[in-house]
Amino acid sequence: MTTTVLTALFYVLAACSVLLALAVVTTRRILRAAVYLMGVLLMSAGFFLLLGAEFLAGVQILVYVGGIVVLLVFAVMLTRSVELLEDEPSIGRKLLGYVVAAGFLIMNVALLATTEFRVLREGTLPAGNTAALGRKLLDYGPQGYALPFEVLSILLLTAMIGGIVIARKTGPVATGKLEQPGQGGSDRFGAQTTTIQGS
Amino acid sequence: MSFSEIFVQAPSAVHWLILSSLLFSIGIYGILTRRNAVGILMSTELLLNSASLNFVVFNKFVAPSSVDGQVMSLFVIAVAAAEVVVGMAIFVALFKCRKTVDVTQMNLMRN
Repeated sequence: MTTTVLTALFYVLAACSVLLALAVVTTRRILRAAVYLMGVLLMSAGFFLLLGAEFLAGVQILVYVGGIVVLLVFAVMLTRSVELLEDEPSIGRKLLGYVVAAGFLIMNVALLATTEFRVLREGTLPAGNTAALGRKLLDYGPQGYALPFEVLSILLLTAMIGGIVIARKTGPVATGKLEQPGQGGSDRFGAQTTTIQGS
Repeated sequence: MSFSEIFVQAPSAVHWLILSSLLFSIGIYGILTRRNAVGILMSTELLLNSASLNFVVFNKFVAPSSVDGQVMSLFVIAVAAAEVVVGMAIFVALFKCRKTVDVTQMNLMRN
């Protein structure tokens, strides 16, 4: 009984997910695409729950729905794409898209139909596998992921700094107006701008 | 196997993988046809999402005693967050100097 319900849930979620994904790539209003994308990501969180990965489902909602979609909406607003109605892609681009996407799908399905996936490591997923996940992330033995985890935090820091530097307001350096150094509180900032200009 | 039997049995690895390749090919279509750069970023998110779904599926159906696939999926999510931050910054900077994010007009290096 439970299996039937879960199977039905899988097919319902899969159908919603595919339809929403199609809406993401075909809608002409970019803000609506962001909302549909949020739907796809929520469905994905449901898939993770069905697969027994509760922690990942939580992370998916926190990071993807709470962070990435909001960032995308910001990007849409800041580039003033909201009032813009995107043109239909030209027939050549559309055809190219159809051919490549369908080719990939057919190739993949053919491969999957001929492959048998054998269980390599027997056993069952521990019921609450969040603890196992945490131990794996902080384990610095040969089976652990402590180093990739730390590298990942550096990557996130780098991305943050890079994002700020690329998108910040063009400062006095770029406009050619030098700030007068030694004006009370802005002394440090003035010193900084001169260093940047000097290099 | 009849049609109704397929829908009653629990989804196997192949069902899950077909679903994620469907999502992936939809993302490919989006990347190739979108004109707005932010739309392309959204299609990339679709691709990354289906890839991380794949990791979890293989974790469950191929090596169910460990959580390595889930760790990889976590890494994919983090990298996707970093990618969106940098992408958004680039598009905002681009919009400031070009007044458009239409990728068909970004041919500065063509001639």
